[in-house]
Amino acid sequence: MALVLLFAGDVFASPPPKMGAAGDDRGIHGCSLLRGISRRSYGLGDICGLREWLSKYGGTLSFIETSEVLGNVSGGINRGPEYDGLTQAALQFNTQKALHYYGGTFNVSALQIHGQNLSQDNLATLQTASGIEADRATRLWELWYDQKFDREGKYDIRVGQQSLDQEFMVSQNGLMYVNTMFGWPMVPSVDMPGGGPAYPLSALGVRAHVRTNSWTLLAGLFNGSPSKPGADDSQKQNASGTNFRLHDGGLAIGELQYTYPSLGAMVREGKQTPKGRVYKLGGWYDSEKFDDLEFDNTGLSLANPASTGVPKTHHGDYAIYAVADQIVWISPEDNDRTISVFVRPMGTPQADRNLVDFSVDAGVNFKEPIKHRDDDTLGIGMGYAHASSRASGLDKDQSAYTPGYPSRSGETFVEVSYQYQRLVWWQLQPDFQYVFNPGAGVPNPNSSTGQRVKNEVVLGLRMNFAF
Amino acid sequence: MKIFNVRTFLLLTALLAEAIPSFGADQAKPFLETIHHRRTLVSTIPDSGDLNPYAVVVAPVSAGRIQKGDVLITNFNGLTNLQGTGTTIVDYSPVTKQLTTFAHVPQHLPQCPGGIGLSTALTMLKSGWVIVGSAPSTDGTTRTLGAGCLLVFDSNGQLATTWANDNIRCPWGNVALIDNGSSATLFVSMAGFDVPPLQVRDPVTGYPVTVNKGTVLRINLSIPEGKPPVITDQTVVANGFGQRADRDVFLVGPTGLVMAADGTTLYASDALGNQVVAISEATARKDSAGTGRTVSKDGLLRRPLTIAMAPNGNLLVLNAKNGQVVELNPLTGEQFGAQWIDNNPAQSPPGNGDLFGLAIKPDGRGFYYVQDDVNSLLEATQ
Repeated sequence: MALVLLFAGDVFASPPPKMGAAGDDRGIHGCSLLRGISRRSYGLGDICGLREWLSKYGGTLSFIETSEVLGNVSGGINRGPEYDGLTQAALQFNTQKALHYYGGTFNVSALQIHGQNLSQDNLATLQTASGIEADRATRLWELWYDQKFDREGKYDIRVGQQSLDQEFMVSQNGLMYVNTMFGWPMVPSVDMPGGGPAYPLSALGVRAHVRTNSWTLLAGLFNGSPSKPGADDSQKQNASGTNFRLHDGGLAIGELQYTYPSLGAMVREGKQTPKGRVYKLGGWYDSEKFDDLEFDNTGLSLANPASTGVPKTHHGDYAIYAVADQIVWISPEDNDRTISVFVRPMGTPQADRNLVDFSVDAGVNFKEPIKHRDDDTLGIGMGYAHASSRASGLDKDQSAYTPGYPSRSGETFVEVSYQYQRLVWWQLQPDFQYVFNPGAGVPNPNSSTGQRVKNEVVLGLRMNFAF
Repeated sequence: MKIFNVRTFLLLTALLAEAIPSFGADQAKPFLETIHHRRTLVSTIPDSGDLNPYAVVVAPVSAGRIQKGDVLITNFNGLTNLQGTGTTIVDYSPVTKQLTTFAHVPQHLPQCPGGIGLSTALTMLKSGWVIVGSAPSTDGTTRTLGAGCLLVFDSNGQLATTWANDNIRCPWGNVALIDNGSSATLFVSMAGFDVPPLQVRDPVTGYPVTVNKGTVLRINLSIPEGKPPVITDQTVVANGFGQRADRDVFLVGPTGLVMAADGTTLYASDALGNQVVAISEATARKDSAGTGRTVSKDGLLRRPLTIAMAPNGNLLVLNAKNGQVVELNPLTGEQFGAQWIDNNPAQSPPGNGDLFGLAIKPDGRGFYYVQDDVNSLLEATQ
């Protein structure tokens, strides 16, 4: 019954402008840009008949522009606002309409990344202030084919180049936030080779999905690195997203999900009805080689001037994670108004090869905080990333040679964000972030006395446009 | 001479049910407890790109391009996703498993005030005529809400005639039908009487103002051989239902209708009142029963929409505010339970705003329904 919201639904870049099933909208006949612009799903409507033409063949085309200005008014290594932007294009074909063959979906998407990266330029944070921060580029993102094997949606397999942040470790409530932490979290982002196959990168692989009532299993096997292993900058090394690497190590990932309500679940009158919730438990293993964070190949600290500078090598890396999304309140007067909570802890015991060995993000979302603003959400969230003992050990080693050199510990931030649905295709999102102990306590490179980077206040405005 | 017809049988059944309390619906196993599978059948998006499937009706006969058992579905949104601009009725064949466009009308018809936005008010007569309501807008909001009309198509999808008059104001919910072949009676809920603009708010609730002017209209038809149906008379059999504009769901008002087993009582869903009501003597009464008698209120109901009668005599009522269908006893009002048929966690609560149309399958072993978040027809079966 509801107007289908473009931004409601699937996961998107990390963290996303939420994006609906691509192409729920076609546009308008002809090339009128203004007719119905206040209520239609795409700002450009039908693009002069293009979307309608694609629809005849089961095709859908979507463009999402995310533009934001974020700036730190205090703390950091530099101060000031910066602009950051991302254009995403996705084309999907449904085989039922195109070929009268049920269950197939072909997807290709691309990214155009523009603007600057505030976290790199001003903040020196681990948990970057915006999920769209990445090297400027125009690149292929995902290229896959998904085949369902039954009409109840219980089994499907996806093959091709995939970005794992679209399906794994996803918190539905975390998607509205601006900080990267709520999208692709710190543990995989920092610890996987090249940051892992997640925005703006991806990797070749296969993913299986099996669902039975309340339980869902997602399992995938992917190339172990989205770019050449060991590259200093994986985004630059795989600049166009077309490396299609297959012969590196392997990345195995699995996730078990519990959902209530499940399809078909019965509710009895007069009995306490559980509120909607999704719990996930997962883990990944990457068989690539990983450098030790503290010691070189002779056992000396990398901080020691006598070190070879060649880190000791470890084989393999893994982590486990959990995700919980839970509705805790539904307004009895208006069921659209809800409060949900979420939490997403993850960690690894392998401190020797992982900069971050534990991270957690959590928050509270209030949907429709202002009456009749049905599609607005107010969110208060936080993230924490803990530097591993080997990382802080290296800092301690360094302090022996550089007196006063600070030792990394953990970085925490809080974020308050209001997602205002101005039009169906246009969201405005004022955002506030406060970062404690940026970079987990790294020294400020601009400080002559080696002081840590001071706590930061970040203010900004994000806008999402669906064209 | 026809001495025993369906109506007589239903009447006898109802009398028996009254006489023997343990007989009938209140003893039957809840229908929903027999439903264990849900399958996506087809995307309801036609070549024109229309969106937001609303009505679901199973064809009672084969006629023209329609085969008995086909599923007819209206689309309420046009290809821009603007509500109240959908102009297509699509036909899903359970045999071929293909979707075709049955009818596609122009966006603007002079005889249909406000334009075309095909609603859940859809039915098909045994004589092959297809009747559908229009609750139109031109900008996707009730700011441009038109009075709408009822459109009549032949069985090949050609527009035969339209009906518009002072009693017809945004035909909205699923139609209750008594079809005797050469004559028929339709019951249609109307949700568009003097609906204030979205911006006019109730100072107490903060929501758009509710006006209690929604009605249920009885339309008696004569169906001449080979000619379109003709309205012989019309009576407002219920009125005073709350109706209002809504930013997300366009209109809220009286919606679902279904005839009782007794053949004279009509059940209606009062969405804003969050209740199902009974309108007695609906087939014969000459005046309005007001908002009728409350059958079931609140409990598991969350803004009730389409109503259908399950094979066991219970009512199935779709909720607007979550992805549940509720089963209740129309005689006692007892709510047996509800089943989640849409658990999409992208909405909060899950499935919120996704459901509207539902129809019992011809074999009685399940039902068809639509989900507008994925623009698809689904079936739920045993």
